Amino acid sequence: MATTSETPTGAAGPAAAPPQLALAAGRTQSFSWRRLAYGLLGLVLAAAIWELVSYLKDDPVILPSVQKTVSTFWHYLFQKYPAAQGKTLWQHALVSGARILAGWAAGVVIGVVVGGVMASIRIVRYVLDPLIEITRPLPPLAFIPLFIVWFGIGETPKFILIIVGVVPVMIIATVAALDAVPPELIQASRSLGASPLWALLTVRLRSALPPIITGMRLAMGGAWTSIVAVELIAATSGLGYVINNAGVNLQTPLVLSGILAISVLGIVFDSLLRLLHRFADPSTR
Amino acid sequence: MTVPQQAEAGPTTRPAVEIVGVRKQFAGRSRRAPGRLALDGFDLTVAPGEFLCLLGPSGCGKSTLLNMLAGFSRPDAGQVLADGQPVTGPGPDRGVLFQTPMLFPWLTTLDNVLYGPRARHQLDAEARARAVELLGTVGLADAREAYPHELSGGMRHRAAFARVLVNRPRLLLMDEPFGALDAITRVAMQRFLLDLWQRERTTIVFVTHDVEEAALLGDRVCVMSGSPGRTRAIIDVDLPRPRSIADTETLEFVRLKRRIREALEAEHHDGDGDDGDGGDGGDGAGRVAGVGPAVGHADRSAGEGAH
Ligand SMILES: Nc1ncnc2c1ncn2[C@@H]1O[C@H](COP(=O)(O)OP(=O)(O)OP(=O)(O)O)[C@@H](O)[C@H]1O
Ligand SMILES: [Mg+2]
Repeated sequence: MATTSETPTGAAGPAAAPPQLALAAGRTQSFSWRRLAYGLLGLVLAAAIWELVSYLKDDPVILPSVQKTVSTFWHYLFQKYPAAQGKTLWQHALVSGARILAGWAAGVVIGVVVGGVMASIRIVRYVLDPLIEITRPLPPLAFIPLFIVWFGIGETPKFILIIVGVVPVMIIATVAALDAVPPELIQASRSLGASPLWALLTVRLRSALPPIITGMRLAMGGAWTSIVAVELIAATSGLGYVINNAGVNLQTPLVLSGILAISVLGIVFDSLLRLLHRFADPSTR
Repeated sequence: MTVPQQAEAGPTTRPAVEIVGVRKQFAGRSRRAPGRLALDGFDLTVAPGEFLCLLGPSGCGKSTLLNMLAGFSRPDAGQVLADGQPVTGPGPDRGVLFQTPMLFPWLTTLDNVLYGPRARHQLDAEARARAVELLGTVGLADAREAYPHELSGGMRHRAAFARVLVNRPRLLLMDEPFGALDAITRVAMQRFLLDLWQRERTTIVFVTHDVEEAALLGDRVCVMSGSPGRTRAIIDVDLPRPRSIADTETLEFVRLKRRIREALEAEHHDGDGDDGDGGDGGDGAGRVAGVGPAVGHADRSAGEGAH
């Protein structure tokens, strides 16, 4: 009874040390040289098998060697393709990247806004749910001919096509993310003195941010599929165009270079989004 | 019995909480299904500075009541007053602690504590100093920059405490706050809460399932019965303050627990149910025997093991 004054620190003292240790352990584990080495090993193995098959086949049109592909990649980074009025591989990559970013960003904004409204207003949800359920299973590529008829072969059909792929993914991700926010978290915020708007911005939306970013990553994958497909069919620039054109001319090393460029760009975009996710969700750091 | 003695003492001091004839019904699943009457004609008065425990079986409406006090929901009929004012919505004057700490996982411990001042646009040097001081009080001085997932369960609860206390609430509403904790951590948290109340004398409404916890913490224990929720008995806990965990081993304490348990069990036998004030210390011989032989001291471990 007499010792009550010293109890809080007494109770807390021994418990206060462990988190620092756990914290340090968590940080050091998130980057591991061992894991990196194994990852590189996988890449080297894949390249070795490629090299072996190409050596056995001995036909650069079917499968050029790794060196040939890399040197072609390097060559066309600064050489125009097609030679007459074309662009360098760099420029083609920039064109595709810009198309992706524009369509994806617009689609993300539309999807998050529509998803946010659906999660907040029940009637809107009832109206839009069936529409999304009907359109979601359709591959966006099925719309390519339609969009070409409607919008010609300029930038518009490409922009629209990416949006069509991105929006449903973002709507579903946003609605699910907002639905998953525990109501007690918002109640806690309100009873700490937050206004409804403040609670919406700093708790409901903030708490939904990490899963929404995951949705953005998924949508980015879909956007690449759309853009390459539409560039294969109706474009005079972009990586899809390079791949298609080089394929028609039996320039297999350049086809592979185009694929390599897509892969590099895809990794770069995804890494940026993963970085964003890390900032949004401390428990994944 | 529902009017606390403290309130009678001074007619000028208005009660911290006044609940009058509150009724709350939840709609049934379909239009034909009858709604669930969670509370009906519920009255309760809590004096300023009082520590009131709400004890009752699962589903008797304790959380429903607390949610109305917090301002998360409205009664269908009756009045809910806090500090003489009708409760119209949540506010920082009534701090709420949930069964789980509900910290914001994207904020550090310190930023969690500063959430309230920031939300009210009152984040100044004084608020910061107070937050840091409170984190020291709850033993989290070294965990200021840690994120909630890096804290232990007990530490998270203490952080949630600090987050509420930084607002200087006049009323603390706690819904089984230690229910999910292990026995050792729970005892530490009870000790912490007793100490806090001893210093600050904040009015506390504390919901619990645990007879021992209610007897240890409360000035009064409101025993509820369910469907619809009503007050079964209000039992004054006249154990001396300040209290400590060691008090649970005294004969007085064990007697008190028995009284509370009897009031709680009375509702299961509906026949002898309606003598609401069952806490009159009636040592009904039959039930005393049922409580067990451990009247001396060993009851403490038995009590903890059971919950
Ligand atoms: N949102 C709701 N919709 C429908 N019925 C509800 C709702 N919330 C509570 N109820 C009903 O109201 C009654 C009281 O619920 P409440 O959550 O207040 O009980 P409780 O005393 O807190 O129980 P516990 O100790 O298990 O937490 C229960 O019968 C429950 O089924
Ligand atoms: Mg409850």
